[in-house]
Amino acid sequence: MDNKALSLKAGSFLLLQLLSNLLLCRSVDSLPICPSGAVNCEVSLRDLFDRAVVLSHYIHNLSSEMFREFEQQYAQGKGFITRAINSCHTSSIPTPANKEQAQSIHHEALLSLVLGVLRSWNVPLYHLVTEVRGMQGSQGDILSKAVEIEERNKQLLEGMEKIVGEVFPGVKENEILSVWPGFPSPQAADEDSRLSAFYNLLHCLRRDSHKVDSYLKLLKCRIIYDNNC
Amino acid sequence: MRTRALNPEARLEGPPGMGLWKLLLTLAVAGSSNAFPGSEAIPALLDRAPPSLHRVHPGLGTNSSGKPQLTKCRSPELETFSCHWTDGGRRGFESPGLTQLFYIRRNTQEWTQEWTQEWKECPDYVTAGANSCYFNASYTSIWTPYCIKLTSLGGTLDQKCFSVEEIVQPDPPTGLNWTLLNISLTGIHADIQVRWEPPSNADVQKGWIVLEYELQYKEINETQWKTMDPVASTSVPVYSLRLDKEYEVRVRSRQRNSDKYGEFSEVLCVTLPQTSPLPCEEDFQFPWFFLIFFGLFGLAVILLLFLFSKQQRIKMLILPPVPVPKIKGIDPGLFKDGKLEEVNTILAIHDNYKPEFYNDDSWVEFIELDIDDLDEKTEGSDTDRLLSDDRRKSLHILGAKDDDSGRTSCYDPDILEADFDAGDMADGPSEVAKPQRLKGEADLLCLDLKNQNNPPSSDAPPATQEPSVTPAEENKSRPLLLGDNAQSTHPTAHAQLSNPSSLANIDFYAQVSDVTPAGSVVLSPGQKNKAGIPQCDMQLEAASFCQANFITDNAYFCEADAKKCVAAAPPAEVGARAEPSFNQEDIYITTESLTTTAGRSGASERAPSSETPVPDYTSIHIVQSPRGLLLNAMALPLPDKEFLSSCGYVSTDQLNKIMP
Repeated sequence: MDNKALSLKAGSFLLLQLLSNLLLCRSVDSLPICPSGAVNCEVSLRDLFDRAVVLSHYIHNLSSEMFREFEQQYAQGKGFITRAINSCHTSSIPTPANKEQAQSIHHEALLSLVLGVLRSWNVPLYHLVTEVRGMQGSQGDILSKAVEIEERNKQLLEGMEKIVGEVFPGVKENEILSVWPGFPSPQAADEDSRLSAFYNLLHCLRRDSHKVDSYLKLLKCRIIYDNNC
Repeated sequence: MRTRALNPEARLEGPPGMGLWKLLLTLAVAGSSNAFPGSEAIPALLDRAPPSLHRVHPGLGTNSSGKPQLTKCRSPELETFSCHWTDGGRRGFESPGLTQLFYIRRNTQEWTQEWTQEWKECPDYVTAGANSCYFNASYTSIWTPYCIKLTSLGGTLDQKCFSVEEIVQPDPPTGLNWTLLNISLTGIHADIQVRWEPPSNADVQKGWIVLEYELQYKEINETQWKTMDPVASTSVPVYSLRLDKEYEVRVRSRQRNSDKYGEFSEVLCVTLPQTSPLPCEEDFQFPWFFLIFFGLFGLAVILLLFLFSKQQRIKMLILPPVPVPKIKGIDPGLFKDGKLEEVNTILAIHDNYKPEFYNDDSWVEFIELDIDDLDEKTEGSDTDRLLSDDRRKSLHILGAKDDDSGRTSCYDPDILEADFDAGDMADGPSEVAKPQRLKGEADLLCLDLKNQNNPPSSDAPPATQEPSVTPAEENKSRPLLLGDNAQSTHPTAHAQLSNPSSLANIDFYAQVSDVTPAGSVVLSPGQKNKAGIPQCDMQLEAASFCQANFITDNAYFCEADAKKCVAAAPPAEVGARAEPSFNQEDIYITTESLTTTAGRSGASERAPSSETPVPDYTSIHIVQSPRGLLLNAMALPLPDKEFLSSCGYVSTDQLNKIMP
């Protein structure tokens, strides 16, 4: 990839990250910021990683809150936890299950896995937003969080692709992706089933966002700070 | 399966002789327990749907029923976890080793909706203490659902499902210490910096887990801890501690994004160095109060000195006098004399009248011309009386001490005043009845007309002049044609004049529309109907009192009147001068009048039509020099062709049609 194009992409990604940082109220201490409109902006890998971690942390935060609110509002005493042991659609992606496994896997592979997980969530998040909008008595909070998560996920995916391009230039784009089966159709399922499917999706979202967050933090410390965060 | 269930008994360390007793006891327990629906078949049953799983909340640990319950499962560093349960309180009767914990974890391939998997037993009952099960790193899978259950002799006592990342509760931080940052200038307060280390088992360096910390502090003898906001770093400043107190500090940590804190660290005692024991004022307050108070006091004293001093100049500086308004116009003498009616009239007409005075200049020349003629005529007794009366009258009416107007000219207030006098005193023509005071203007009008007419009528030959004179005098003598009084007086109409009813129809106040050169005031017509038939209505004896035919709808000449008057006049006059004929009529020169003079010959006599209502106030369209006022016809039904037929005003257009 051309360096200039990469820098340009990195710059735009950095601007997006800056915006997200402002939203997150994080103090970006001394990270260099590309002036808006700059074409040849060199963004360091460190900055990219820092911002990616911030973004993934934010997404996990939002999904935790969203799950908690949904549980309080719709799933009280309904025993959804039983059915929530269903598999998430991303279970097919062989992500490391604990720290040793994560440490033993190579950066490249781990990054690819992260990208795969992020990519797999694009479609479900879109449908999640649509469904939440149409839900009866859905509060604005859940909807706004869903919308936010969908947007941030796209940003994170974009950022990760840039990082991958920078850390492992020349690597071919991997195609890790797991297809989401979709919600049960409104005609086929009753309200309970639909709510259960919802619950499951939010549970999976929380879990996967935590996964991605942990992997990225691990990678950041490993790559940038040399295991000394 | 059954063997498996029984195998754990081999681990029990009870005395061999107790085996039978234990067996009996467990059987008894099993039999009496309520939590065993189909107890033998629970583990790993193929077909049965899993019993309803429920989360065991650590807080609800009341073991009322007496059986062991899962209290809490916890992972301190996201690498291992352990589960704890309570004993159940049945000590002595139940061996602690009887309770077992089984777990099952879902793998991607193994887990299905049905509980087909085998439950595995807890790998380590020891490491985490009594009544606990410890899962080391090899047994721990993050992001994987686990279910555990507590069994006793095969019977499930409790069950719980969770994921490891949800149960993270870090250990307390270690290595708390503090350093002094600074001491305040007063020596009362100090700031310190507290530092600590993250828990040793949390792998923060590799970034596997990210922690945040919460610090609490309090004075030694206090009971309430003060809490600070969570921080992500491992040191935090604490501000404003008093130097003479001792403090305690403690810190706890939690994984960022979760809400469960770990345990508190050990308490750190902070003993600040004692500085000088002298009590010191916290701040020095500037004595603002005293300063302001005494300052104001001094200022007040100085001000009073100035005020009460006799120094007028200084007093003027501080308290400048308020200018008093000065209003011209009304003679205060009137008030003193009690002539309120005059004052009223003055007030009523002053605004309208006053400006007229300032037109004196333009009128002067003209009037002088007229007056020159007039004076010759007015040597007559009647005229003289009129003039003198006018003078007085006008004075009474207006009482205007207006120095600007030429008092010597005959249309002065003096002259006008004389009119009133004439009217009031019923001088002049005796036929004039004593007019009522309020309607003086009407009377005046009539009277004047009568008076004015007299000379012209008497002096037939100089008819050309007289008409001009009379109008002038008329104008002079009628400074106020108020209201409906447009009763054009006629010498022979005095009787009518005297009719009180007529006077009753006159408005008290009427707007002065103009002042004729002769000095008389032209009033705007009031309500025509109110006027009824003006008493000073002109009689239609054309010859005798044509000049007095001032049909006044409020002092305007109807063309009928004008016609009559004009007819009386020598034709020569008519032909020669349109204007003088107007002057005859003297009151108001309307376009109509003009036209009537022009078209008189062809005009048929009309009864005092005056049927058309005339508005009270009409704006002047043109001031025909020198004696005509062209009024704007307002809402008047203009006759199609014969505008002359309407006693009213002629619009400019019509006038233009008529006049060249």
